[in-house]
Amino acid sequence: MRLIESVRIAWRSIRSHRLRSALTVLGLVIGIASVVVFATFGASIEAEIVGDIEGSSASNVYVFATPADDEDGGFDRVVQPAFTERDVQALASLPGVTAAIPRGTVDANSLTHGEDTVARQRVTATTPATFDEDRIVAGRGFRSGSAEVVLNERAAQTFAENVTVGDQLTLSLSGNRTHDLQVVGIVNGTAGGLPVSDFAEGSRVYVPVDPFYRTVVESPSVGVRQRAYPQVTVVTDPTGIEATRTAVATYLDEESDARLLVPAGTEPTARTSGDFAARISSVIDRVTRFVTGVAVIGLVVGAIGIANIMLVSVTERTREIGVMKAVGARNRDVLVLFLVESGLLGAVGAVLALPVGLGVGYAATRYAEVGFTLAPGWMATAVGVGVAVGVLAGLYPAWRAARVDPIDALRYE
Amino acid sequence: MTASSDAGATADHDDVVTLADVRKTYDVGGTVEALAGVSLSLPTGSYTAVMGPSGSGKSTLLNLIGALDTPTAGRVVVAGEEVSAVNERARAALRGTEVGFVFQTFNLLARLTAVENVGLPLIFAGVPRAERRDRARELLAEVGLGDRTDHHPTELSGGQRQRVAIARALVADPALVLADEPTGNVDTETGSRVLDVFDRLHAAGNTILLVTHERHVAERADRIVHVRDGELERIETLDGGERCD
Repeated sequence: MRLIESVRIAWRSIRSHRLRSALTVLGLVIGIASVVVFATFGASIEAEIVGDIEGSSASNVYVFATPADDEDGGFDRVVQPAFTERDVQALASLPGVTAAIPRGTVDANSLTHGEDTVARQRVTATTPATFDEDRIVAGRGFRSGSAEVVLNERAAQTFAENVTVGDQLTLSLSGNRTHDLQVVGIVNGTAGGLPVSDFAEGSRVYVPVDPFYRTVVESPSVGVRQRAYPQVTVVTDPTGIEATRTAVATYLDEESDARLLVPAGTEPTARTSGDFAARISSVIDRVTRFVTGVAVIGLVVGAIGIANIMLVSVTERTREIGVMKAVGARNRDVLVLFLVESGLLGAVGAVLALPVGLGVGYAATRYAEVGFTLAPGWMATAVGVGVAVGVLAGLYPAWRAARVDPIDALRYE
Repeated sequence: MTASSDAGATADHDDVVTLADVRKTYDVGGTVEALAGVSLSLPTGSYTAVMGPSGSGKSTLLNLIGALDTPTAGRVVVAGEEVSAVNERARAALRGTEVGFVFQTFNLLARLTAVENVGLPLIFAGVPRAERRDRARELLAEVGLGDRTDHHPTELSGGQRQRVAIARALVADPALVLADEPTGNVDTETGSRVLDVFDRLHAAGNTILLVTHERHVAERADRIVHVRDGELERIETLDGGERCD
């Protein structure tokens, strides 16, 4: 018997029970579509976040101390200041490096704008190189050594009246020191921040290291007390980032003050936004896989629906099977016939589920305001699984059908 | 071949069906002997009726000759193939091409039209669709249903359905037509017309084995094989005159 004949007969049988077939297919459509939806949504979120990270900070190598046992590129940071002024200068002079931006925090009490005082525990101390032209919303970056302050958009909005360039702010630091600062710029991000702050950006107040940052340690290499920071961002050319990272890592391991100053059990590390993106990807990927795995349950339910309906079908058509065998159908022909039927149900389900899943996935990305990214691998898998599920679910019923004894079947009422 | 070749082999050669000491027992909580050593030959072109009360072994005999079943002992040879010696695949092929079944309850597939029902055996024989349709139309025309080819069984009368079933039995040009109470589900008038079709088939050279419990049906045949308690009771040969009354 030719396969095309099996398909024809099977299709006819499916069409002769329209409602039943439609409901069976619907079960499978829901299962496959859920898989497609979650996979698509996960891929879209991942692409969006990773794209953000790589787009905004492809030229950065982040230097900080991590626990020594953190081997998998983690971003657990140690906050103790270990990178000395000497380290910052040494990093800045590595080949290919355009800037080394130290970053530390200054403990504060409050910030006052006009009549309005807002409690503030810390402000960020950094250098002018952290301000990147593309991210300055208004004004300019501060100058080193001056009483100037830069706010990010969020911080500018924390006061009753929005802060604008030219306003005066009074910063009260711990120890009851107060400073009158002039707002010189509003930014929506900085080069020195870790990529995570781009999408989880809190309110940030930036002041120049000189004169506000006063955390000092003795540099083991030069023997004088100098400023030390918990984090340094090395800016380089994106194309040479891996070479820079290697140079930075070598410096950190072999010559830095930081290697001697970091707390026991930690070590200075260099990470790129690529590491960061990979880290986030793997987290999102795990979540996606978990959620998609849950959706697979729907697929299994769909498969059980097919198996159930095929078993009913075999019982209903016992006599028909007997007739087919009496007129020359082999066991194999009967087996194939039923497998083709359940496989067809699976295929129809998969084909219908694909646009449904993509549609819902697209709607979800719109809702979450992320770009729409296809997950072709998952789509192919969903369709393949649909057909496979159909065939698998049909195996037992088909085997039962093939084993029907024609003599009994012809007597069957 | 020389004169020394044995008579049995020669007989096999001319016969469509040969049964040699065929036994069939069923194990249903105890052994039931449905056939207790039956030997019978159906010569090419013969028309044989099998009569007997229910439980006599008629159906078992039919199932064995139709390659639907295998004997417990003895030989069943159909169109040169020994049924018990070949596998399921070969028996299916035998049923598809060498044997045509006509059932009491027609056994047409409700979803298929008349022409598709008739063409069904050819599907399993791998005949292309166009050829199947032509052959099926031709046969439906022969049984007087040329204008009903695209009707579904439910749209046909009992007699018409049985004629569709006969057309189906003939579609693969089988060596043997097996009919199991072909008039059992139709009225006498219709039954008589169905039997006329068998007469025509016989006249055209087909070999027919018909199982019935009605004497007047059996009398259409050349000879009547009487079965009782799994054994051949006697074989009654009818002359032409008796058949045509």
